[in-house]
Parts: sequence; structure tokens; C-alpha cells
Amino acid sequence: MSVADPLWLLALALLPLALIAQRLSHRRTRTYAVRFPAAATLRQALAEGADRRLRRHLAVGALLAALACLAVALAAPRVTHRVPIRAASLMLVLDHSGSMDSNDVSPTRLQAAMRAANTFIDQLPASARVGVVAFSTAPDTVQQPTTDHRAARTAIDSQQANGGTATGPALLLSLQLLHGAEKHHPPAAIVLLSDGAANLGISPVTVAQEARREHIPIYTVALGTPGGVLNEGIFGPTVPVPPDPGLMQQIAQSSGGRAYDARTEQYLRSVYQTLGRSLSTVARKRDISIYFLIAAGVLLIAATLGSVRTAARLP
Amino acid sequence: MVTGRPPTTGLRPPDARQGPGPIPAGLLDALDVAIQRLIARTLAGSRRAAGVGLGTELAQLRAYEPGDDVRHIDPAASARTATLHVRVHVPERALTTWIVLDLSASMAFGTAERLKADLAEGATLVFARMGVRRAGSVGVVAFGIPGEPGGIHVLPPRGSKPGLVAVRKLLEQGVAPDGERGEGGEPGSLADALARTFKLSKLPGLVVVISDFRDQRDWERPLGALRLRHSVVAVEVGDPAEAELPAVGRLAVVDPETGDLVRVDSSSSRLRERFAALERERREVVATELRRLGIKHIPLFTDQDWLVELGRRIR
Repeated sequence: MSVADPLWLLALALLPLALIAQRLSHRRTRTYAVRFPAAATLRQALAEGADRRLRRHLAVGALLAALACLAVALAAPRVTHRVPIRAASLMLVLDHSGSMDSNDVSPTRLQAAMRAANTFIDQLPASARVGVVAFSTAPDTVQQPTTDHRAARTAIDSQQANGGTATGPALLLSLQLLHGAEKHHPPAAIVLLSDGAANLGISPVTVAQEARREHIPIYTVALGTPGGVLNEGIFGPTVPVPPDPGLMQQIAQSSGGRAYDARTEQYLRSVYQTLGRSLSTVARKRDISIYFLIAAGVLLIAATLGSVRTAARLP
Repeated sequence: MVTGRPPTTGLRPPDARQGPGPIPAGLLDALDVAIQRLIARTLAGSRRAAGVGLGTELAQLRAYEPGDDVRHIDPAASARTATLHVRVHVPERALTTWIVLDLSASMAFGTAERLKADLAEGATLVFARMGVRRAGSVGVVAFGIPGEPGGIHVLPPRGSKPGLVAVRKLLEQGVAPDGERGEGGEPGSLADALARTFKLSKLPGLVVVISDFRDQRDWERPLGALRLRHSVVAVEVGDPAEAELPAVGRLAVVDPETGDLVRVDSSSSRLRERFAALERERREVVATELRRLGIKHIPLFTDQDWLVELGRRIR
């Protein structure tokens, strides 16, 4: 618990002063005390416990407590509590290299990947933040993680297949986009849609190991069949473009995610559910002065009622 | 110390003093009959007198007649006249009234029509005026006076007008002012005053004790001693506010005699009940003791017509 305005806490020092003032005012009692010959009998009745001593001090005690509560409330106390966050971030890393144009998967690998990505986005709750990094020779299309899912769709749907496969740099970039500079970032995951066979830049396995340290699992979807070929134009040669499911498996395992292939892509939706289970919390400060104000009010009413009941009503 | 001088210090008329009110002579005459009946036993004939013989004062010498008591023959007169002469005495019938009067500070209290001191003054005047009838004399033993030696002031018995004037002068002085504990010690108590009266009053007579019997101890024994020699009447003066505490909230009361300050919450019904019970018990003890000693007990309250009440109780 912390206070926003500690200067007000100085008002608590007034409480002992109030007590002392009350004690001093007791000394003046003799000036208004009523002459009463039966005072000795009254003292005897008091000594026998006919008076509830506690009740005599109740009103004063409640009043002082109300003042204390008021002083604390003015100081605006705050409590730090951990709020669970539901908004997890997901980064779709889409490979649109030339090999993705192979039609061993109907209609093409890229189309299948785009469909899988769109299906995945459909299944996400609106609060999930989705970002897109599309890459070929280098990460070219970047959509920051946002709750606006249409932006992600637009980024996905605009991809054309060409160029090399720089999986490592794309993963590194998406990792940076997800955790930013924060140490405690919200839960996040990366979904890599690729046919594997990374051939440019930093090794994706290295990135995957770093992702594990950041607690960001990478889920991979391997596309394509071993017999996949690429026709370089109508008259061009036929280039074999086999996928590399082993590399995808390795990336997933090193980062703590799971590897899927085109046949199991419908299981991709479980990615988000897995994330939901590992939801974390963030620290939030909340002003609790209202409770002190309520307590002060209640105590003030109690003190008033208590003193009305026992107030002197001399005829 | 027996002096006729009224105390000039140590007494002061209470603020709310209004006197006992008119005392009609007709009412006194009616009371006189009752008082004569009350003291009849103490006069010659009914009880052994303090002196010797039927009387002490010579009324006349006359010739012996058969039937006269031979013990009354006067030797000297018989020898001189050569005939038998007897002494005839005046019977002892002059009454001495001793009034034991409480002048302590607690008497200056009253919440109804008069102060307790006014009632005591009235009762004193009634008994004094009846005491000086038929050649009687009145003495006063006033107690509870701070300035006096032993706290007691004595007016020696005097008859007729001088006796009444002395009593009136003493009554006009008022009562003792409010005291503080430990200031000049305790002023004389009821027991001291009764013991002093026993010492002073040799001849049988009437003793009237006028007090509130409050905060007094060990008065039963000296009162019993007085009872053996005199007719004793006890007038207990009280105020209704002393019997029951009103519900007036927080109260600070001070004992007029000791200066003891007591703070109470009179809205507590438990305290009020306990106080009323203790007061009832106290008055019960006084009444029981007086009944045990065979002393006529006349309680007078400030909310009553005290003269009517006195007349009703005395017969």
C-alpha cells in the first residue's frame, strides 16, 4: 500500500492533540459540576460497575477513529494488486517465398497458408491482439500486433509468392515486436506458416531458443509434400521444392511450441487456448480512499448517535 | 465550648435560601399538645429524675396535716414554731429542649420547593418556640461547621425571648460553605454532636435531632445513650432528587462536603436503578436504627408542606 499525498498523514498527529485537549477539558469539569449531596452513593454505584465504562469512551473513540480515517482518505491510499490480462498477443509469420507457389497443396501452398491463417484469426476472440510478419528474402510486410483483426487479414491477403526464405530474421523481428522492451510482457505466441527450408539469414533455431527464454512459444505449420515441384514458367524447368518438416519440428521444440502440418492445421485453434491457460497478471494501482471515506462516515454517525444518547440534557 | 456568641465565620447563607415560610401560631398550639404528650414521660413522676426528691425549689412551709409525708417535715421551722411544719416543693416541670442541628454543606440542597436547610430551619424554629413555652429553655448543638473547634457550635439553654433570639441569630448565619477534601479536617460529625449533647444535658428533657443522616457513621450508640435520659425526636430532611437520579445524560456532580467529583452517564438505566436501590437501602438503615432505639422518626421532604407533615408525624 502506498499513498499519493503523504503530507495529509501529518493530520494524524492531531489525534493525540485532540485527546490531550479532551483531558484538559476534564479539568474544567468542576466549574460546571452540579452540587449533589448523594455523590458518595453515586460513586459507590459506579464502583459496583453499574456504569458501562466502555460505552462512555465509545463516542470519543469513534470520533477520533473517524478523524483518522478522514486523514488517511485525504492522503489517497493505493493498493497494488495484480490484474489478470486476457488480451494475449499472437504473431502470424507467413512465408511467401517462391517455393510457396508450388501446387502440391491445393490450390497452392501460399493459398493454403493464407486460408489457414484466416481461419485461425476467425477463431480468435476479439480481445486477442494479432500481428503479421510476411517474409520471403527478407521480412517485408509488417503489421504490429493489434486487436483490429481486419488489418491482419489485409496484410495476409496481399501476399504474392516469390523470393527466398529468410525464416530466422522474420522470427527475430516478430519476437521483437511481441515483447518490445518490456520484461513482463503479456502472454504471446508466434505461429509460423512455412514450407521450411530456410536458406537466408540467422538460423531460425537460434531465434527459437531465444523465444523460449522470453516464454514465447513458436507453433509451426509445415506446408507441402515431399514431391512438391515448382514450374518456372510454362516452358521452364521443373524445380523440386521439398518442404523441411524436420526444421519446423526443431523450431517448435526449441521454443516450447508444437509442430503441425497441413493435415493437422485445424488443431491450430488450440494454440490460443493453450495460451489462455498460461495467462499472466499485471500490477495495477487502485485508489482505495473511498473505503476510508465510507468508514469515516460510518464512524461519524456512530459517534453522533452515541453522544446524542448520552449528551447532557439538564432541564 | 459553651458560649452564647453566634459563630461569625464558617457559615454563610445558601444562595437559594428562602426560609421556612410562615409558621401559624394556631398550628403551633395544636403541635404543643402533641409535644407535651411526647415528653410527658420524661417529666417528674414517670421516671427517676436526675436530682433528689420530687423537686428542689421550695414553694412554701405549712403546718403538718395528717396524711403528709413525714419525710417532708422541716426540722428547723418545726423547732422554731413548736408546731410541725412541712416543706412543699415546686414540682420540676420546666422543660429543656436540646436541638442537635446539622449545618453541613449538604443541607444547602433542594430541587423542589425549598432547600433542605430551609426545612431544618423551620423545624428548629417550631421546636424552639414550643420549647420556650411554660418557662422552658432551648439549647442548640450545631455541627458540621468548618471554622469551629471540633466543628461544633453550642448555644447554651436559655429561656424565653433571649433563647429564641439566639436560635434565630444562629439560623440566619446559614450553613457551612462547600468544602474541599483535606481542608482543615473533617467538621464535626453527628456522633460528636450527640456525645456533646449527652455531656451537656444533665436534666431530663427533649432532644430533637435535625439532620439528613447522610455520610454519618456510628451515631447509633450516642443516640441510644441520649434516649435513656431524654425523649428523642429525629427529623430526617431529604430531597426527592437524592432518592432517584433523573435521566439527564452525562452528569458531573460534586459532593458539597468533600469536593469529590463524580462523572456519570445518567442515561444508563442500570446505574439509575443501582443508585436508587443504594439510597433506599441507606434510608432503610436509618429508619431501622431509629425504630430499634424507639425514637420517633419524622422524615421531611422538600417537595412537601413540611409543617403539615411535621404535625402529622409528631402525634
